[in-house]
Amino acid sequence: MAGIRCWTLFLFNAEIIDKQKLSQGIFRLRLKSGKDFCRAAKPGRFVMLGIDNSLFDPLLRRPFGLCRWHEEWFEVVIKNVGRGSAQLCQLEKGGSVAVHGPLGNGYPQQKTEEGEVSPLFLVAGGMGIASIASYIFSALDSNQSLTETFLFYGAASYAELILLNELTAAVALGLRIKTITDDGSCGRHGLVTQILAAELLNNSQARIFACGPEAMLKSVQKILQTGGNEGYLSLENRMACGFGVCLGCVQTVFAETGAGGVETAKVCTQGPVFPARKVIF
Amino acid sequence: MVDLTVEIAPGLILKNPVLTASGTFGYGREYAPYFDIAKLGGIITKGLSLEPKTGNPGIRITETACGMLNAIGLENIGIEQFLSMELPLLRKLGAVVIVNIFGQEQADYAALAARLDGVEGISALEINISCPNVKAGGIQFGTDPAAAAKLVAAVRQATSLPLITKLSPNVSDIVAIAQAVVEAGSDALSLINTLMGMAIDLDRKKPILGNTTGGLSGPAIKPVALRMVYQVASAVSVPVIGIGGIVNQRDALEFLLAGATAVEIGTASFINPQSAALIVAGIENYLDRQGCKRVVDFIGSLEKNPA
Repeated sequence: MAGIRCWTLFLFNAEIIDKQKLSQGIFRLRLKSGKDFCRAAKPGRFVMLGIDNSLFDPLLRRPFGLCRWHEEWFEVVIKNVGRGSAQLCQLEKGGSVAVHGPLGNGYPQQKTEEGEVSPLFLVAGGMGIASIASYIFSALDSNQSLTETFLFYGAASYAELILLNELTAAVALGLRIKTITDDGSCGRHGLVTQILAAELLNNSQARIFACGPEAMLKSVQKILQTGGNEGYLSLENRMACGFGVCLGCVQTVFAETGAGGVETAKVCTQGPVFPARKVIF
Repeated sequence: MVDLTVEIAPGLILKNPVLTASGTFGYGREYAPYFDIAKLGGIITKGLSLEPKTGNPGIRITETACGMLNAIGLENIGIEQFLSMELPLLRKLGAVVIVNIFGQEQADYAALAARLDGVEGISALEINISCPNVKAGGIQFGTDPAAAAKLVAAVRQATSLPLITKLSPNVSDIVAIAQAVVEAGSDALSLINTLMGMAIDLDRKKPILGNTTGGLSGPAIKPVALRMVYQVASAVSVPVIGIGGIVNQRDALEFLLAGATAVEIGTASFINPQSAALIVAGIENYLDRQGCKRVVDFIGSLEKNPA
């Protein structure tokens, strides 16, 4: 790298220091990183991860939400859904992953007005929990209060309600958790948006952070429009680069200038978290 | 020390033969946190049109074996915003700037060229007559030698800036197009743009890309690109810039051997933002180890007899 000045430290190969199977085809990797990396981490930000391969197949890195971090490591949760994630899931402890990040903007800060904390509803569907959990773990690891914070968590089945045990530790900080599953194997039988809709009836002040499949986010947006609540959606569009260049991940949004104008926004650098009212699905 | 300088158009001498491919380097700003972009031979901007353009709806990218398909649709901020918001930073950073231009009609190209003529901080224009993803992305000019020549002649009339014409591989005879645009006044050629391709979602029985078809890039297309660069460089007397699946210095050096005076790094920059800078260092290192003092001595030095 003679003669190249590097301003960012966050383009590196990370050693896998732990790997854990969370459910069928779902793994958690703990990767070694520097302290500066963890200082730049924020709930809702993401990393691009790639296999260090000379054959360039798979070619591109894949985006994963930062789930948890502490001083010299960070964790991501990976579900085996395609060629890239399959190879990442096959890596073992001691192996290496190419890391680029943290990228994007995370969730906004908890809102307090004159000392009053407004209720916060965290809505997670399926793998969306990895991003939503980062908010809870971040509070847990810095011993911040989670009073007035509710987690509504839906998955296909009990087996896929990953991270639930660890998230339960945050109940001591005030977090309240409601689960729901598609097959009724844990909590109610149904979709997480049903819980959200019911809870919002009694809570016009609540703010919402949501991450999950697009169908869920669309439904969350609709519910928010009805209730008039402020909400933020974490999107997950396909991206090649993760830092604002390829324009593959753009999302149609209402223009900042208002007046109903429409523009495109890069999910990687302008998101992945967007105000729900801006997104046009 | 290896002398890496190359002349890619009369009077346009680059400090090294590594450029960035249009559409993969944004407006340069995005890469500034990763390395000193002034260290490259030059940067080629995202394709710019007279007016801003929003690009294609739906899914725009999908990975394929050793490559990717894109159907971005030439989304860009338009020439005026580029000049007022982006060029000043590029000048401050000291980058050599080549602006990629495209239009709907010949007059758009000429108007863009005229607008950029004499603008300080712009070293050359790359004329995009080869985007496969929009009907009005130049491809209608890029597949017919006569239409291509007419367009280049019109741009030539409108500016004194060095002109590089970017060629499409989606033609039956790329050499004929190359010769036609050189005849019409193009100072250099760059090739290849993406190969038109398609991806299908079997289970849903639907095309994956919003645009149905897209442009294939990445290591998958390198052999096609090398072949075309070799054929064109053998047939024309102007500098040729090789593009297509270059991910490391060895790929870049193969293009130089085949006759390219410079190369453009594209998809590799998505994977590792420092790719282009690493390739500059890699080329220097390789030539140094080979005892080659000047990169120009290496260019086109391919031996005719197969290994």
